[in-house]
Formats: sequence, C-alpha cells, structure tokens
Amino acid sequence: MRIKRTTSTNLILNLFVGICALILVFPLAWIVIMSLKQQAEVMTWPPTVLFVPTLENFRVLFDVAQAGATSYGTIKVDFLTPIANSVVIALGSVIISLLFGVPAGYVLARRDIPLKEDIAFFILGFRFAPVLLVVIPLFSIFQAIGLYDTYVGMIWVYQVVTLPMIVWLSRSYIEDIPKDIEEAAAMDGAKPVRVVLHIVLPLLKPGLIGASLLIFLLAWHNFALGLILSSTKAPVTVALLKLLNPGVQFYPVMAAGLVVTMIIPVILIVIGQRHLERGLTFGAVK
Amino acid sequence: MAHVRLEDVNKAYGTIPILRNIDLAIDHGEFVVFVGPSGSGKSTLLRMIGGLERISGGRLLIDNKVVNDVDAADRNLGMVFQSYALYPHMTVRENLAFPLRMAKVARARIDIRVAEIASLLQIAHLLDRKPRQLSGGQRQRVAIGRAIMREPKVFLFDEPLSNLDTDLRVQMRVQIAKLHKQLGNTMIYVTHDQVEAMTMADKIVVLKDGNIEQVGSPHDLYHNPASRFVAGFIGSPKMNFLNGHIEAAHDAGVDVKLDAGARVSVPVHSDELLVGKPITLGIRPDDFSRSAAEKTDIGIELDVDFVEHLGSVTYIYGRAGRESVVAKAPKPEPPKGAGKVRLAASPADCHLFMTNGRALRRLHAPANWS
Repeated sequence: MRIKRTTSTNLILNLFVGICALILVFPLAWIVIMSLKQQAEVMTWPPTVLFVPTLENFRVLFDVAQAGATSYGTIKVDFLTPIANSVVIALGSVIISLLFGVPAGYVLARRDIPLKEDIAFFILGFRFAPVLLVVIPLFSIFQAIGLYDTYVGMIWVYQVVTLPMIVWLSRSYIEDIPKDIEEAAAMDGAKPVRVVLHIVLPLLKPGLIGASLLIFLLAWHNFALGLILSSTKAPVTVALLKLLNPGVQFYPVMAAGLVVTMIIPVILIVIGQRHLERGLTFGAVK
Repeated sequence: MAHVRLEDVNKAYGTIPILRNIDLAIDHGEFVVFVGPSGSGKSTLLRMIGGLERISGGRLLIDNKVVNDVDAADRNLGMVFQSYALYPHMTVRENLAFPLRMAKVARARIDIRVAEIASLLQIAHLLDRKPRQLSGGQRQRVAIGRAIMREPKVFLFDEPLSNLDTDLRVQMRVQIAKLHKQLGNTMIYVTHDQVEAMTMADKIVVLKDGNIEQVGSPHDLYHNPASRFVAGFIGSPKMNFLNGHIEAAHDAGVDVKLDAGARVSVPVHSDELLVGKPITLGIRPDDFSRSAAEKTDIGIELDVDFVEHLGSVTYIYGRAGRESVVAKAPKPEPPKGAGKVRLAASPADCHLFMTNGRALRRLHAPANWS
C-alpha cells in the first residue's frame, strides 16, 4: 500500500528525523573535534570552529616512552593496559557466558523442568537490578578470597551483566527453531548431543553472533564493576575517569581516550552486521 | 520383517488421558492408516511408536522386543513430518546423507545411496539446493527420501500431505502408495482425511477421543461400520442418519419405524430387549435408488432443497420429515430443482445404531461385495 504525502508533510517529517540525528550526533562530533584540539583551544569561549588539528592527544595516550609528558604539563597516563584489560575481560565474559548461557537457554527452551519460568525470570531479574547490588557484598568477599583485581574475578562478576542476556536471547532463538527439526534428527539416529552439535548450533550461529556482539558491548561499556573490584586490571572506562585529575583537567586527552574507546565497538558492529542476518530457518518448515 | 504391537498402551499428560488402552497389531509390510478428527490422539500414537513421546502405560513391541524405553534414535524407524522438518542449513544432499552420517556409514557408500534415493524420488537435479529453494512437493520428496535412507524397519508419516495443494496431494498419494509397493516396508500413516485413508490403507485404525473405534480394511469400515461415528466419518458425502424406534425383533432382523413415517425390516442381529427402544437408521447417499425394486425396500419421500451437479454424479439435498438427507440422484434423469422426489433403499444397505452409538451387527455380508 502506498500512502500519498504532501510535500509539506514530507518536509516536516524529515525535519524531525534531522533533529533526532543532530541531537545524537552532537556529543559524538564534539568529542571527536575536542580530541583533535590543543588544551588551550578547548577552553576558549566562544568555541573555535577553525583550528589546526593535532594528534598530540593520541600520542600522549599511547607514548609509553615519554610517559605522559605533554606540552602543557605531565600526567600519568597508561592507556594501553586498560585497553588490553577491557579486551580480555569483555572477550572472556562473552566466552564464559556462551559456554554456560547457551546450554541454560536450551534447557529453558526445550526441557520440562520444575519451576522453569521462575528460574528464567530470576536470571532475567539481574538485568533489572542495579549492578551495585552485587558489587557491594562482593567487594569484601573478593578481597578475602583473592579475586580482587584479577581477570578471573572480573570475568566472573561481569557475568551479572552478560549471562542473563545470553540465556534469554539464546532461549528465544532456540524457541524459534521448529521442534520438528530436532525430532527429525532424533528419528534419523542422532543422539541428543549430536542433535545439538549438528542441528541446533549451526542454526543458532547467526543469532549467537549477534548476541555475542551485544553482550561484548555491554561488558565493554560497564563501569561500576571495574571501578570497585579492580585497580591494575581496571577496564578502559575506569581509566578514562582517572584522566580527571584534581588539579588540571586534560579534556582533550580524555576526548582522545573516548574516541579510542568508541572505535573498537564501532569496528565490531561494522564487521558483525553482516552476520546479523536472521531468517536462516526459513524454508525448514512450511 | 517388522511387526509392531501395542499392548494396552496408555498416554496421559499429567492427569489428562490422551490415549486409553490401545491394543493393536501391525504386520510386516502392512500399510496402516490412523485416521480420526483432530484431538483424537492419532498423532500422539504415531509419535509414541516413533519414540518422540513417552508411553505412560502398557507395552510397545517392535519385532517382539519391548521398546518402551528405547531412544527414538535407536529404534531404526523413518519418519516424515507434516512440516517436512528438513535441515535448513544443509543442502538436499546433506539432508539425505544425515541419517547415514549419524550411523557412521563410510562416505563412499553414503554417496552411492544418496544417488540411488535421489533417482528413485526424482530429486537428483536438486541435490545441491537448500530446502528454502524448493517447492512444497520437492521438500516433501526430500523428506521422504531422508526417511528411507537407512532402510528403516517402519516408516511413520505424520499428515505428510496436508501442506500441499489438492493436485499435488493426489500425486504424492499415488507416489507414496507406489513407494510402499516398491519397498514393501511397514508403513504407518496418520491423516485426518478419510479419502487418503480409504485409498492408501491396507488397514484403517479409526480413533476418537483417545480410543480405537474400529480397526479394519477400508471395505470393512465402509460396509460394516462398528459405530455411528465410524459410519459418519468414512465415506463422502456422509451417511444419512434418520431417527426412529424398533417395533419388533425376530431372527431375520428388526422392524424399524422411522419418525418420518416409513417402515423397514433390517437384517441385523437383534435382541428382544431392544423392542420399543429408539434407534438411528443409517443409509449412505450412494445406496438410494429411484423406486422400490423389491417390496421390502424402504421408501422415503424427500423435499428437495437443492441439487448439486458434479458432472459424473448429482447429489440431492433435501429433508425427510424434519431430518436432512443427502442422496446420490439415481440416473437417468436427476431432478432439476425443488419439489418432491421418492427414493428407495434396500434393507441390506441399511445400518442401525443404538443410542450409545454402537452398530447392530449385520446378518449378511453386503450385497455389493467387491
């Protein structure tokens, strides 16, 4: 069906879209511009539009040899380690979540177990609770058992963020796979484990790639867990905050750090988008 | 050789009974059709034989071995699903090969078998396609092919044709019947379509509300229905049911007087106790003739509502008293439209059903025994 629109309606609708885009793009563009400016230029009012861009801020972030020496003072900055930390923690969280979450999702989708819906809702409930709910009791426990400021401890506690998502997403993806297909495989002589390996997992792949991407981003952007439960193994979000020194605020360096932090998810989304295709199960039944 | 035997098999979901006390023996090479309305438990029964549903009580034997607790994967049966249930991520070739891969058959032998089955079902040109690139009929053939790859002892079909259009359904029906002749395996086929049941089966099992109503050959079920339900379910258009009561019972049968007025003496096993009881007389639309050939024939006067011309046959829809009746119009000159028409039927073609739905057993084999 085609709906006819007048030119003026079109104009107004496009205007709304434009406004939304502007609102979203503004801080992003501001940060990118800021990261290319000198410290002095950042603080001027009204803001300068024309300036000579510099990569100095990015050098400060990564130039370990000169360890934070800037043209306008020295800051202690080591940005490589937090990036590595974030990669290890986020990636590790995704892998562990997949390992435990997908089987859990399968059971919740396919098997009749007592209190199934309650268990599922309890798991989902963690998505509603503030993360600090688990952080505060864990803080002293982690210190006592030596998990404070370790990758293992961090990946473990990040499951609060990532595991519920994987369980729920994989459950709904598995429910989308017609049960007939699994039963057909059983009739064809496949034992339950082989049904999962040969039939369920291949059909789940596109969904799981998408879900993994999503929870990687959730883990990557998490702040509160790292702030409280780590110091040397702190993720990149925490490291950004540390650039806010009590004396001088190195805004352009922070901006550069933000740009770097954003780039990794952006790259992942661009690569992963191709895999987000749905509807692979089309054609299986009817 | 593959016999399937069900002994007092029960199925319940929680406290809700689905199937009750099912006793059934299926011989090697037989084509058995489970037929019944939806909710009759026919699919559940098939899935229990396949191992996809747990058996709540009783024993299921395949080749004289109790298989109640044997996994579906180990029963060596082939199944075709209503939805086809092809593996969407695999090509037709991989779909066909899957059962043999699971059985760890050597690659070379799998390839030979795939080629063999593909040519049998005329799907050789589709081997490298994915299921989503196939039409309904092609998917159906692939699903059948996959089911027969392992040369299973028994084939199970769960309403395999209900997703196809009418033309294709008739074609596939013939193909499956041919396949049965070629392979000679035991086949169990579930359908709600009595035409499929009548045309394909060696033996029909009619199910209703989780009970077996009747087991028999298509001919048996058509001519000697054990209950009013079976009589109404088998045959199209449906058997006519006319209410009346029994006036007398004797060795040659019972005398019935219909509410519409007519009297007839029907040759069935009878009982003095039945005299005076209400009874339902059943006559198939095909069993009417224009005028009474014998004086024992039952005569019915019909108020014609409308006439349906189907080409080879014409059906008259009308009323006898307050009850509606469908009759095949006797040749040569079918009535043109509304009016009155007198029809007759031989007592030997009449069925009698008691108020509990059971049929009174007929004294003679039907006259038109084929």
